[in-house]
Amino acid sequence: MRTKAKLVTAVQIKWLLISLGAILATHALNLPLWVIGVCVLLGVWRYIAIAKPIFMPNRWLLVLLSLILGLIIVLSFKGQFGRDASLSFLVIMTALKLLETKALRDYMLCIMLGFFLVGNLFLFNQSMATFGISIAPMLLLIASLINTSLVKQNNMNNLGITKQKSTKQDALFILKFSGKLLLQSLPIMLVLFVLFPRIPGPLWGIPQDAYSGMTGLSDNLQFGNISQLTKNSSIAFRVQFQGAIPPKNQLYWRGPVLWHQEEHSWLMASDNIGLPAEHLIVSGPATHYTITLEPHNRPWLLLLDMPTNLPNNTKRTHDYSAVANEPVRSRMRYEAVSYAHYQLEANALNERESIMALQITEGENPRTRALAQTWLNLTPAQKINSALTLFREQNFIYTLRPPLLGKDPVDQFIFNTKRGFCEHYATSFVYLMRAAGLPARIVTGYQGGELNPNGNYLIVRQSDAHAWAEVWLQGQGWVRVDPTAAVSPARIEQGIGDADLERDELPLMARHDFPLLKKALLNLDTFNNGWNQWVLGYDDKKQLAFLSKMRGKTVSVTDLVVGMIVTLLAAMVATAFFVLKKTHITLNPAEKIYAQYLKKLKTIGLQLNIGEGALDFGNRVALALPPQQTLILDIAARYNALQYSQAKNAFMLTELEALTKQFKPKF
Amino acid sequence: MQTSNNAINPNHVITTNAIIKGVSQVILGKQQQIKLALSCVLAGGHLLIEDLPGMGKTTLAHTLAQVLGLEFRRAQFTSDLLPADIIGVSVFDRNTADFQFHPGPVFTNMLLADEINRATPKTQSALLEAMEEKQITVDGETHQLPSPFFVIATQNPKHHIGTFALPESQLDRFLMRISLGYPDAESERALLKNQGGRNFSSHAPAICDAETVLAMQQAVHGIHVSDHLLDYLQALIAQSRAQLNTGLSPRASLALRQCAQAWAMLEGRDFVIPEDVQAVFASVVSHRLALEKDSGQSAQQMLSQIAIR
Amino acid sequence: MKACNVQVWRRAYWQQWLRVAKSDGNMATLQPRQIYILPTVWGVLYAVMLILLLVGSINYSLSLGYFVTFLLASLGHTAMLHTWRNVVHLHISVLHAKPVFAGDCAQVTIHMLDTKNRARYAIAAKIEQNAEVSEPIAANQSGLFLLPFTTTKRGFCALPRITVYSEFPLSLLHAWAYAELSLPILVYPKPSGHQPLPALLIDARNSGNSRASRGDDDFDGHKNYQLGDAASRVDWKASSRGSGLYTKLYSGEGASDLWLDFALVNGELEARISQLALWVVDAHASQQRYGLKLPNLTLAPSDSQAHYHACMQALALL
Repeated sequence: MRTKAKLVTAVQIKWLLISLGAILATHALNLPLWVIGVCVLLGVWRYIAIAKPIFMPNRWLLVLLSLILGLIIVLSFKGQFGRDASLSFLVIMTALKLLETKALRDYMLCIMLGFFLVGNLFLFNQSMATFGISIAPMLLLIASLINTSLVKQNNMNNLGITKQKSTKQDALFILKFSGKLLLQSLPIMLVLFVLFPRIPGPLWGIPQDAYSGMTGLSDNLQFGNISQLTKNSSIAFRVQFQGAIPPKNQLYWRGPVLWHQEEHSWLMASDNIGLPAEHLIVSGPATHYTITLEPHNRPWLLLLDMPTNLPNNTKRTHDYSAVANEPVRSRMRYEAVSYAHYQLEANALNERESIMALQITEGENPRTRALAQTWLNLTPAQKINSALTLFREQNFIYTLRPPLLGKDPVDQFIFNTKRGFCEHYATSFVYLMRAAGLPARIVTGYQGGELNPNGNYLIVRQSDAHAWAEVWLQGQGWVRVDPTAAVSPARIEQGIGDADLERDELPLMARHDFPLLKKALLNLDTFNNGWNQWVLGYDDKKQLAFLSKMRGKTVSVTDLVVGMIVTLLAAMVATAFFVLKKTHITLNPAEKIYAQYLKKLKTIGLQLNIGEGALDFGNRVALALPPQQTLILDIAARYNALQYSQAKNAFMLTELEALTKQFKPKF
Repeated sequence: MQTSNNAINPNHVITTNAIIKGVSQVILGKQQQIKLALSCVLAGGHLLIEDLPGMGKTTLAHTLAQVLGLEFRRAQFTSDLLPADIIGVSVFDRNTADFQFHPGPVFTNMLLADEINRATPKTQSALLEAMEEKQITVDGETHQLPSPFFVIATQNPKHHIGTFALPESQLDRFLMRISLGYPDAESERALLKNQGGRNFSSHAPAICDAETVLAMQQAVHGIHVSDHLLDYLQALIAQSRAQLNTGLSPRASLALRQCAQAWAMLEGRDFVIPEDVQAVFASVVSHRLALEKDSGQSAQQMLSQIAIR
Repeated sequence: MKACNVQVWRRAYWQQWLRVAKSDGNMATLQPRQIYILPTVWGVLYAVMLILLLVGSINYSLSLGYFVTFLLASLGHTAMLHTWRNVVHLHISVLHAKPVFAGDCAQVTIHMLDTKNRARYAIAAKIEQNAEVSEPIAANQSGLFLLPFTTTKRGFCALPRITVYSEFPLSLLHAWAYAELSLPILVYPKPSGHQPLPALLIDARNSGNSRASRGDDDFDGHKNYQLGDAASRVDWKASSRGSGLYTKLYSGEGASDLWLDFALVNGELEARISQLALWVVDAHASQQRYGLKLPNLTLAPSDSQAHYHACMQALALL
């Protein structure tokens, strides 16, 4: 190692700027806007400093900048040093390092940080698109490394600045070479990906906000919660049915059940309430199905009404929601059985449940209460009908953009605005029922789903989120009542895409007006499903299961390690063979024949020297093999004629070929 | 060499073989040098022979001229030789009251400029100008030199005192530089038996004439040089430029091509192969690399560094 | 020749176990078994980065994290192959080295040739700890490397081991090979000393340009007549052509020869040689004719370049 630090060239800095710029672009959605702004500014600063080195900041300024920016990060993330804050911190520090980069050491550190940031990309999003996007910065980082290895260190001028000329062809060559390296690295990558033993994480605590990007049903219901969720077309879960798919109006995917009302919000019953499970009687045909649940960072699982058995590691709440032991943070696949015909707690309502099912906060919504008071003496069925008739006949509108509701929200909704989404109807309905003395509760979940004809599975999106009511009737138990159906029957019969809504309120995937586009997107989802199953969901269990299936018998982890080492070695040898294989010169026919002749001679130790012509070589060989002298000299003469003379023809070529065949390399 | 479809005039092959044979009966055991000299003549260039006295430089030139059937003149260069002694002088003629041009020895087919480095630079440059232009201008009057016109110059490399070494710009005018070297034992013995070749040379029969030489020169131009070979030539030239401080000039590359063509003709081929280039390379190149130490060795090195395809 | 032995002995014991490309004739080929390869500092840094990525991927169960980690790890392997391939099978030969003074930097011209139809990038070479030279070599072509090499002692010095290396394409790996080529480098003694040129005592050196001085021995051409030229020197014959008067010019060896004698200097052997070397340099620079008298040989006076080198060589090998 030389004592003098190697300096980097302007061209190197430009490559680095482009690479880091690409990384910043791929991380754009994961960073606060101000961080992006600061990084762009720092990058522009460094760019200017290429031409005018006096603009390079000195050490103290950099220390000051790092302190200020670090402090801003701490403040803006309110001291929570989780995933988002770490990324911002890392990105800012890389940008500051870039500003300091004069020596090769700093430069290389920036490149390595760059690679690390590319890896971080997948903490936020593991979609196929992110995967595709991540290739670009890697390509550029590798190109930066290639460019560095090409810099001549001996061309330093007396200012200590290394000069490097760069042309478009150079850049193109470097990029091509970078792509070539990546392609040549694919086989070993694949071997490692499939065979490297997957260790189930986490190894240590994961920052709490690591999963903040995940969406799904929340544990409480407020006005606007579900309509907000409905605007998101990302997938909640996919369902594969064994047998026929039930009709759409049966597809109620049961999620959290909400009991407790408090002004604007409805909450779940406490986990530790200690209530015994409600008594369930099922009848009719069973529906068997498998659900692949996208991670949503909440513990509950979604199941079709009404589930009888549950996946492992989950428990049933007393009100028949399924809850996993931990929040669902990775894609989860489970099988379940449900019955469309059931009776839940048909005989008698538990006393505590009865209190909970009739609870409403005192002193709110006087007009609604007054209305419900008039229904007190009606039969339960009449109470339900009265409420549904109210919704059906009084110009209630089903909309994704309901007006905001202030104090006494139910009053406002029923008597003034009359515009709402499913959560408005479900909550108002339950409120009315409770006020009229009928036990009722809200169930949140999803309704419907979309059949993907390619994969014969059902896609349920966040836009299918729904809320409905259950009322308790003596002898029938908890009965599902969906007040939304009273206002917009199409929502329940056909799905949200057919609901009587303003079109542009809904996400594209939930609408029906671009059939071709939608078909394309459905095809894409088939890929996505495969991607999720086989690439993202490839964990320790799946790995062993897959390899066992491939091998035909059970594979242990030891087998896996041995198999990996063997396959890896094979892949390395294959890659080496491919990379190191001779680069063949494109030979003309005469040269090909001559090459065969040379190969024959090589077996007896006679080799063409550098700068030796065919004739000279022929004379030399003829001396070594006197009996075949004529033949050898003939070959040389004919080869020369073919290579150098004007009058050459195909006949001469055949002659040369015949002569070469005739030649026997024997002393 | 057996090659089909040979477009070369068979007479030329016979003639060149006869010339080589004829000269090598006088200059014993120096077939390679004779061939080089002849290829230089056929390529239409001038030849510089550099060797110690008594090695047969003059004999070679003389015999070559005789065998080629060309008009031959010899000028012994000394330090008091004036340009006019070479190119001729205009003398006032009283009878015609006009200047009469008396042509110098340069007006011949083949001029042997013996010990060229003994003459003053002025005289040397006069000769070299004539070599380049193939014409002479005296007192505003231009006189064409006969065609063909060759100069075979000799010089003694070891003896420095009182000599004027040719500057490299003028060395470049010579197509080739060869040296003869000592004869091998066999040739030496034959030489001794025959009591010297000089007498013998006067009897060397003329095999061709100026016409034939011109025709053969024309034929040399028609020798085919393929693209493959041009690649090889270019690689050699490029190598010289990369390897040495002063690489080969474009004139040198043209000279190389011409000499290789002539050599191919001597070999009875109507196309040039790399071996032809290699055969003439050192002779064509070494004097053009006068600034380099061991230019001959450098030339050989270059040949061993360029692969033939 | 002494110096060259010293060079060999100075090598550490373990170095004899190194696999070195030996020249066959003038040319050595870097054989596969002679190539060494190790990660550079940046390679180690890269490995650390990969481990961090792997741990992160395990911790967060990131399938695509595994993907990036494995792709980059595989890239390291691919880069290793490319680095090795970039150096292997190069033909290396040494062309020449101009003689230098002891302590000066000799420029050794190394020639490297590819015969495998592979373009080689950023091939670097150096001699011992001297500065490196890096050049690309096109497929089937050759590159020339002017390697600096600091000399120490006068005399013939064997060319030390040459290191040929490359870090292409990613600078993560360093592949190198040693080549031993035979080329005696002539090192002239370092010119130094205090004694003035002996000529200074005898001849007026500052009259200078002795070579160009006009003597009267040999005719050297004509010049146009100028007033003051001696009448005996006018070339009447040439002037009779009517184009003006010409004066004959003669050249001669006007200055006397300078003898640089070993006996004229005193002190230690090396000091005496250095002093003589300085005299030779001075005499040559002032274009004087000088001869050299050494205990074992005498070089007749001359002023040519060849004579200068002959004198210096004689001093170097004394």
